[in-house]
Amino acid sequence: MRKQLNELNFEFRADAPKDFPSEFLHYGVVGSGDMEIIMEKKPLGGAVRVKVLTPVSGFSEVWRRVLGRFVNDTRIGNASIEINDCNATPVVGSLRLRQALSEIE
Amino acid sequence: MSGKWNALQALSFLECNARQRAVGLVDEGSFTELAGPRDRLSSPHLPVLGEAIQFDDGVVTAVGLIGKRPVFVASQEGRFIGGAVGEVGGAKMVNIVRLARQAFDTMSAVKDGLEDARRPAVVISFDTGGVRLHEANAGLLAHAELIDQFQDCKGKVPVIALIGGRVGCFGGMGFVAAAADVLIMSQNGRIGLTGPEVIEEEMGKEEFDASDRALVYRTTGGKHRYIMGDCNVLVADAVAAFRNAVIDALAVPCADIDSRRRIGSLEKVEGQLKLVDLCVRLAPKDSRDVWRYAGNEHPEAVADMSLARFLSSVKRLTDAQGGGTP
Repeated sequence: MRKQLNELNFEFRADAPKDFPSEFLHYGVVGSGDMEIIMEKKPLGGAVRVKVLTPVSGFSEVWRRVLGRFVNDTRIGNASIEINDCNATPVVGSLRLRQALSEIE
Repeated sequence: MSGKWNALQALSFLECNARQRAVGLVDEGSFTELAGPRDRLSSPHLPVLGEAIQFDDGVVTAVGLIGKRPVFVASQEGRFIGGAVGEVGGAKMVNIVRLARQAFDTMSAVKDGLEDARRPAVVISFDTGGVRLHEANAGLLAHAELIDQFQDCKGKVPVIALIGGRVGCFGGMGFVAAAADVLIMSQNGRIGLTGPEVIEEEMGKEEFDASDRALVYRTTGGKHRYIMGDCNVLVADAVAAFRNAVIDALAVPCADIDSRRRIGSLEKVEGQLKLVDLCVRLAPKDSRDVWRYAGNEHPEAVADMSLARFLSSVKRLTDAQGGGTP
């Protein structure tokens, strides 16, 4: 089977979302088992749009749950998130998303 | 913000990522990233091969200040595909050097006889195994172009190489770093051409045991390179230590910086040939044999010495002994 870089696209909507507070945020390194994240403010009617590029196939549902929980827990809205993944586990993914957000003081 | 930059200074250079190094090397608040993640200049080749990409293609390029001097920085991310140089990251490195030279030309045109303290400089933090095999031709071209750029910078813009990352600096990038004016390393830094694993793979474990960390470090590591004269300055593993060494290196008058190089003139080539001759005569079985020849009576103690003790007591290979240059 031909190896490919998978593009996954999601959209989430938290209850009573808060506007994403940063114009542009970059966090992380695409090391082995790790990932990087760009988060940007974007007028999406309160939604959060996420694009993931990952070499791993078949984990779309896991990404949906990790990202969905992140959006619901943090109640961010009007944000665009882009992720370059290199085989990060769901736990690492979840951690990096929260670390990225905590970069905003 | 101020606390952040200060905190960065105390961090281990080895453990910092490429961006943290770049930010910490220039004056506080002066870091301006060029072609950064926001521009999303990632590799066009990796997705075709199903490999992960990074928004900056593994190289942070920026301009900042050290004092009055514009400093053009390139910093390689060793954790992204081992810091391997591809088309985009390579082009970013080449162009940051080109920008520095253009800045020099522009500034010189405005004011004849640009004073040293305002002269632009290039600082490159290497952390790489060399060319990225997925896009090897473009990556190799970047190596050649970088050395070209370094030569064009001669007498205009000082080029300072830093090695203190986890990967070290191997493959073609070993050549590139050696072609810089000044090479600053930490004990954790390693430089070489063929990496330890590749030597073992090609020549067997009897020739070089890549799992023997002590052997690897005393053959390619900062202390050995310092004794041999391959590296000019050996510093502690901290961002501040590298930054201070850069500041010191830039304080050397530009006219004198050429004497610190390893290659680039007939005298340097002759020096290197003398070293080859010495190597044949000495036929060392281990780097310790060379350390002893250089005048270190207890070479077995060198590897475990603290940096301060090492710097105060070590004997470096001299020109008279047939050593290299700096």
